[in-house]
Amino acid sequence: MYSSLDIKELTIWRNKTALLSLNESIQGGEILSIMGPSGSGKSTLLNWLTGMLPPTFTAHGNLYLNQQNITHTPCHLRHIGLLYQDPLLFPHLSVEGNIAFAMPKLSKKKDLENVSLALEKVGLGGLEKRSPASLSGGQQARVALLRVLLSKPKAILLDEPFSKLDSELRQEVRDIVFKQIRAHQLPAIMVTHDHSDAIAARGNIINLATLEKRYA
Amino acid sequence: MIKTHDTFTRLIKLSPTLLVALLVIPVIGGLIGVLLPAFGYLPALGMKEFSLQGFNALIQTDGFSHMVFLSASSALISTLLALTMTILILACFFNSPWLKRIQRLLGPILVIPHAAAAIAISFLITPSGFISRLFSPWLTGWELPPDWLLPHDILGVSMILGLTLKELPFLLLMALAAFAQADLGAKLRAQHKVAMSFGYCPMTAFFKVVLPNLYTYIRLPVLAVLAYASASVEIPLILGPNAPPTLSVAIINWFNDIDLTLRIKASAGAIAQLMLTATLLITWWLLEIIVKRVFYFYVTNRKRDYAGNAIMHLTRIVTVMLVASILLSLLGLVLWSFAGFWRFPAFLPDQLVLIHWQNALTNIQPALLNSLYIGFAASAIAIILVLVTLEAEQQRAYALSHLSSFIIYLPLLVPSVAFLFGLVWLQEQISSHHAYINVIFSHLLFVLPYVFLSLASSYRCFDSRFSILAASLGKSPAKVFWQVKLPMLVTPICIAFALGLAISFSQYLPTLLNGAGQINTITTEAVVLASGASRRTSSVYALIQMLLPALAFVLAWLTPKLVYKYQNKA
Amino acid sequence: MTLSDFPTLIRFLLFLASMAYSVLSHAQSWQKTVNEGVNNPVYFHAWGGDAQINSYIQWLGEQVKQQYNIDLVHIKLADTSEAVSRVLAEKSAGNHTQGKVDLIWINGANFAAMSKHGLLKADWATKLPNFYLTNPAKNPAVTHDFGLPTQGMESPWGQASLTFYYDSKTVIHPPKNLKQLLDWSTKNKGRFTYSKPPDFIGMSFLKYALINLTATEQRSLLYQPATEKSAAQLLPALWQYLDELHPTLWRKGTFFVQNSAALKRLVSDMELSLSLTFSAAEIPAAVERYDLPLATRSYAMHDGSLSNTHFVAIAYNASHSESAKLVANFMLSVKAQAQKQQPANWGDNTVLDLSLLSQDQVALFSQQALHPSSLATNNQSPALAEPHPSWSTLINQQWQLRYGSYKRGTVK
Repeated sequence: MYSSLDIKELTIWRNKTALLSLNESIQGGEILSIMGPSGSGKSTLLNWLTGMLPPTFTAHGNLYLNQQNITHTPCHLRHIGLLYQDPLLFPHLSVEGNIAFAMPKLSKKKDLENVSLALEKVGLGGLEKRSPASLSGGQQARVALLRVLLSKPKAILLDEPFSKLDSELRQEVRDIVFKQIRAHQLPAIMVTHDHSDAIAARGNIINLATLEKRYA
Repeated sequence: MIKTHDTFTRLIKLSPTLLVALLVIPVIGGLIGVLLPAFGYLPALGMKEFSLQGFNALIQTDGFSHMVFLSASSALISTLLALTMTILILACFFNSPWLKRIQRLLGPILVIPHAAAAIAISFLITPSGFISRLFSPWLTGWELPPDWLLPHDILGVSMILGLTLKELPFLLLMALAAFAQADLGAKLRAQHKVAMSFGYCPMTAFFKVVLPNLYTYIRLPVLAVLAYASASVEIPLILGPNAPPTLSVAIINWFNDIDLTLRIKASAGAIAQLMLTATLLITWWLLEIIVKRVFYFYVTNRKRDYAGNAIMHLTRIVTVMLVASILLSLLGLVLWSFAGFWRFPAFLPDQLVLIHWQNALTNIQPALLNSLYIGFAASAIAIILVLVTLEAEQQRAYALSHLSSFIIYLPLLVPSVAFLFGLVWLQEQISSHHAYINVIFSHLLFVLPYVFLSLASSYRCFDSRFSILAASLGKSPAKVFWQVKLPMLVTPICIAFALGLAISFSQYLPTLLNGAGQINTITTEAVVLASGASRRTSSVYALIQMLLPALAFVLAWLTPKLVYKYQNKA
Repeated sequence: MTLSDFPTLIRFLLFLASMAYSVLSHAQSWQKTVNEGVNNPVYFHAWGGDAQINSYIQWLGEQVKQQYNIDLVHIKLADTSEAVSRVLAEKSAGNHTQGKVDLIWINGANFAAMSKHGLLKADWATKLPNFYLTNPAKNPAVTHDFGLPTQGMESPWGQASLTFYYDSKTVIHPPKNLKQLLDWSTKNKGRFTYSKPPDFIGMSFLKYALINLTATEQRSLLYQPATEKSAAQLLPALWQYLDELHPTLWRKGTFFVQNSAALKRLVSDMELSLSLTFSAAEIPAAVERYDLPLATRSYAMHDGSLSNTHFVAIAYNASHSESAKLVANFMLSVKAQAQKQQPANWGDNTVLDLSLLSQDQVALFSQQALHPSSLATNNQSPALAEPHPSWSTLINQQWQLRYGSYKRGTVK
């Protein structure tokens, strides 16, 4: 079975004026890029996808994850991973603790042991016991990515994921993130205002302001 | 920043030292003034030799251990309850618009003086109180009030209830103030979202991710609440047991006893109170360590949901009950203040009359003026001191030392019964006979910490680029302070001023002791009347006590608007 | 040659001369007091828990302002002992002349404590011009406070006696003596209590009980300093009575309210149906202010009611002692005493001997129509004098030991 994320005939209103309409299907390993200036509804869309649309908005339409309707499923039961521009590591937990926190309850002992291995794979070997605050920006971003991936999400949302990184680091982290998403065959939606991000994602690009869609 | 050496800068530099000295000297001096008689040195009674007689008398006092137990247990339980409820309310309504509404509902309670709150609660739970009338006689069959133990019950349940209800809004607002800090709030919310995206239910996510980081910010308020609860006088006096009472109330009784030799025992009691409060603070600190250890295991056990929904429903019910009981007790106060004859179990008075308000208003003027004079003086001094201290902090570009920040809270942590009696003695020693100055000074001790607490975060968050910009335009630090910072900070300054007023209005012990009993304020009158005959008069005074700080906050809300209007016109 | 040898006329002239001299010198020294006393404030430390008394003191203030330009500042105390502490604190700080307590409303144990520690100015009260109106030669109550001679430290202000009151809607037949009180309380559990010693009312109730539990031939012991022997003889009857009474009281005797005002509030709340006060006039006044049920009725116990005098005193270090004397003297004036005795103002009994007054003056004291909640003027209850103050101290100490803390209370 292919994994997929389907947005079916979505319209979001604010105070009875339609803010955005969308009808999209994203296959596993595909990254849909959403662009547009601030106020065009990017974060509103993300809020709807995570199930946290503020009460000032109303939405019509459905969200299917792997053919299952999750439109009314609470946020914490959706299995949709989030990656923000800030790594948002938990300061009261170590690197290892942060990752273990995200892993499913029923993870096997072996999986926990594999954390070190996974860290090594993204070039963070030996940092298990460090506190997040002591890591560099790039290291933090990679821990955040690893944390999301090891939480075994069924889809992933990226909210301006690279905007706080300097240009050199940006490309490096971007490559790792996209590679991992494809390797795990996860459907992904990325909100960004940076055109080069959208191009590097090699997926469809939607501009919310102009409603123009470019196909990959 | 380049150092400048004008008068303003030099004056500013001294201010942190001045502030710390202003707080340390009276507290430490006051403690010495209690320590000497505690060890038997009281020349006025012809006792000039040191002895342990006071402590012996104290320990042999009938029910002494029970007094200590009452003080300790009520303080610990009420603090735990208030903290638990704060956390549960935050966790339950973290992403809900209700959090703002609850904040708006509970906020005003923060500035209600303890005495007024205790009076309101006692009117609610007393056997002939509002709750009992609500269910009588149709459900209970009571034609006369039952012989309940509430309030003044032996175990101090009503006292614990009073303390909890009073401290809960304080902790909640302190936590919300932490969230209101720009980066912290957004970060914690985002982390909460991240945890939910990992499958944690909202409650669990709050406890495992938000709470550990939030606690750092409410830790000091929690400790202040604990210290206050262990030594407070007004609430145990109005709601607590008296056979025996809490240690703090017993100390006040001994100090005021006609048997003057009891002052030795009272001073020893004040020292015991100090040790009790210190022990409680240390106990809390140990509890924190243990909880942290145990908690760390639970945080990383990857369990996603601990009956989150059930706890959420329970929290909602308890919150509704809390808000309802607060509203009911306020309604009760208002009704009593207008009540004519009102036999039990009638739910409403037989007639509504204005005589209680009329009587009070004809007698209240001197007390009202005293409250205003003292409040304005103490708050103004506090605002000036805090502003220059914060300015000094910015000019030398490093924050106050941990010790200094701690010292600012000293008057909130050291039980006031322990040092105020000594402070009176100290003021006598330097022959400060001016009652108003003595009272304003003692109020300042309690107003300063709150004003600092309220102003510090906004002053420290002040965007330094504005002052750099102004300096680059050739403005001296003094001009930057007067012409840039103060106008931009009008709103937080007004709020801090109103808070200062509210704190000063509510002071009972410092007014009574340091004013040599010569100065009546609304609060001293209200406490005297709370022990008096008339529920009706007592309600009027409690309501006036609540209205005063409310007025102060309305002014704080209006002033910036007027200032801006004026500025825009100019 | 002896005095008796003088002819009667000369003796009489001599007597007149000495009288004139003493009156004149008194008048001179009083004029000095007036000269020094005017235009000052007087800090009057007085219990402030009763609205009616407070407004009477306000009236006093208006009067002395008019007469002497004195600002009378009423420092409202929750308990008179606060003022005692204040004066002691000043003494301990070496402040012997600039004291903040000018005048204190006081009697009983507070007076005993202050005079014992030398905290009161002595030898002034009997020299007040209005003092002779109390007829001290015939009325020892104005120079003795709980049996202790006042030595001119206190000027009498008023007289009161222990009065019971009840809610006639819930009580048809109130108890008429100490024994009936126990029976009544046993039948109506939780509807009576007294205030916690050393509060005035609580102590008064205990003394009333002790006097009535003491055989008539032994009562003289109560008017002498208590000894170990007399205490062992008389007190057990009291403890036995209380052991029986306490379990029937409000809160089963585990909690006692602080003062008579709190008792009044409990009657107002209908938690108590029967209570007691030392100020009979406050009962109808409280009904007028809706603070007691409309059906409240007052009466005196048939087996006697405890009576005593209350006074004002001047602190030894008062800043304005001459002004305080002017106020104390005005308090003894016919005008002030008559105003005080009117039930609408306070209803406190005068300390003046009405037989020394003119008819017009006496008329000022006559009462208007009696309020239904007032104490009947024709009550036949015999007055019981206050025992020696040492008994109060002893009763209080032993009461605290027996019932003061819960664990050793009557509920076992």
